[in-house]
Amino acid sequence: MWAYFINLAVLISINAILAVTLNFILGYAGIFSIAHALFFGVGAYTATFVAMKFGAGFLTATAAGMLLAALISLALALPALRVRGEYFVAASLGLQMLAVTIFTEWKSVTGGIGGLTNIPPARLFGFAVTQPEHFLLLSLLALGLIVLVIRALVRSSFGRSLKAIRDDETAAWAYGKNVAIIKTTAVVVSSALAAVAGSLYAFYLSFINVESFVLDTSIQLMAMVIIGGTATLLGPLIGTVLILLLPAALSYLPYLPVTEIGSIQQIVYGLAMVLLMIYRPGGLWGFQDAPPSSKSGTA
Amino acid sequence: MLLLQLLINGLQLGAIYALTAVGFSLIFGATKIFHVAHGAAFTIAAYLFWWTTAVKGWPWPLAAGLAVLAAVVFGLAMERFIYRPIQRHEGAFFTVFIAAFGVQIIVQNLIGTVFGRGFVSVTTPLSRSVEVLPGLFVAPVAALAIVLAVVGFTGLTIYLARTHWGMAMRALSENPDLIRVFGLDPGRVAQYAFAIGSAIVVPGAIFTAMTAGLNPAVGAHVMLISLAATIVGGIGSLRGAAYGGLLLGLAENLALWRLDPQWSEAVTFVVLFLFIIFRPAGFFGRPHAAK
Repeated sequence: MWAYFINLAVLISINAILAVTLNFILGYAGIFSIAHALFFGVGAYTATFVAMKFGAGFLTATAAGMLLAALISLALALPALRVRGEYFVAASLGLQMLAVTIFTEWKSVTGGIGGLTNIPPARLFGFAVTQPEHFLLLSLLALGLIVLVIRALVRSSFGRSLKAIRDDETAAWAYGKNVAIIKTTAVVVSSALAAVAGSLYAFYLSFINVESFVLDTSIQLMAMVIIGGTATLLGPLIGTVLILLLPAALSYLPYLPVTEIGSIQQIVYGLAMVLLMIYRPGGLWGFQDAPPSSKSGTA
Repeated sequence: MLLLQLLINGLQLGAIYALTAVGFSLIFGATKIFHVAHGAAFTIAAYLFWWTTAVKGWPWPLAAGLAVLAAVVFGLAMERFIYRPIQRHEGAFFTVFIAAFGVQIIVQNLIGTVFGRGFVSVTTPLSRSVEVLPGLFVAPVAALAIVLAVVGFTGLTIYLARTHWGMAMRALSENPDLIRVFGLDPGRVAQYAFAIGSAIVVPGAIFTAMTAGLNPAVGAHVMLISLAATIVGGIGSLRGAAYGGLLLGLAENLALWRLDPQWSEAVTFVVLFLFIIFRPAGFFGRPHAAK
């Protein structure tokens, strides 16, 4: 039971990193990325590659993943964010699907469908993190750091510019804000930090395959942010806990075939997304901050 | 000969994509709703057709009629019960998009739970390929898909240009307030757009069931194609969405000349990305579509 809780806590903290970083662009900048799982994957595969090929430690491997994720997100964001919000949705959806093909087909690096096994434990300052408890500490530390970074960014002038762009892009532009650069920077920061979660995930499980980085993962991350509450600091954390506890809660329900739990979980959060959007667009925790609005909709 | 074969397959697939994308573009143009649950309408229609014909053995005209009915009811229900309540308090792109996405997730998983997650397909004499030239195989459905796409698109163009409701739909996209001034109800016009836009996915859904086969995740693919075709063609242009769909279908198949089939979505992405970089307004977009 103890091992079960530790495992769940590690997975929650890793997913919370993803939700918090996604919220940074979705909630504060109003950018709709369906490609967050891809940057999670890039972080995981890159860290694994660097660790297995060059015997790199945790920090080096993570930094490599962050760098690659930042570069890929830059290539996506630079052209796609110049234009309307819908373009980024479509481009990120396409890139996510393309990434799944690459993760599956580039067998020499990603191991194909079978994935990569026997990933060495994370080495930190000459210390191998093998105990699950120690790993939990490491992932909580990473989550705490990332939450602090995001909080500092959101409260800085950069964060205020982001929110201004989200609420009225034209007005922000008229005030002399370089909209494209600010939005692109936000995407790059968010993607690079998502890669940290990927690195943690790979070192923790010592096994990764493409299944963890598919479109469904991106959607689940989006659901975590939305259900918890966009543009709040606590919302994504609450959403992560709720969604990750859902399968465990569902398995207590009688008459539920085990094979259908995944589907029912998705139906539940799909339904939650629809109902929240109709009755409470700010999410469960979203009462302090107004829900983001974009100019693309009809007012 | 292989190239010719791929060209014909590409035309067939492109015709299917074109119809589906035109439906999405019509709804988006008239109502400014980014209807990503369009793929769900496609999935529902396709599975209903498969279930009634392949499982129940009902005659296909009846099955096709039911598929149209289901798609229209779905589209209208989305407008009435999801989009309208959301737009009543705030019409943000964000909320509408997330809700539509939620519906897409629900439909995909419900269909997976009810009908299973494997591939299913409808086999008819029409989907059996005939060797028309040595080494060149064409199934009658290919011709049928192309003809139906042309007829459907022409019919829609005439409808929008000539009829009262068609003109109202075009007016709604230009200026919703003016519609009210003329004594029309914008909600009614939006419902027409949803009904027609959803009905027009049915041919694509049926042909997909008869050719490539279905799985519950087909909606996500349809969503990508619809979005990509709309952007490639130019947001707000029906003609553009049709050409965009055609181009994507052709590109996907011609790529098979050199690439394995699992790269088809990669080809879609590359085409989309090239357009976003070099011609963000699309084929027929207004120069200021990109703000």
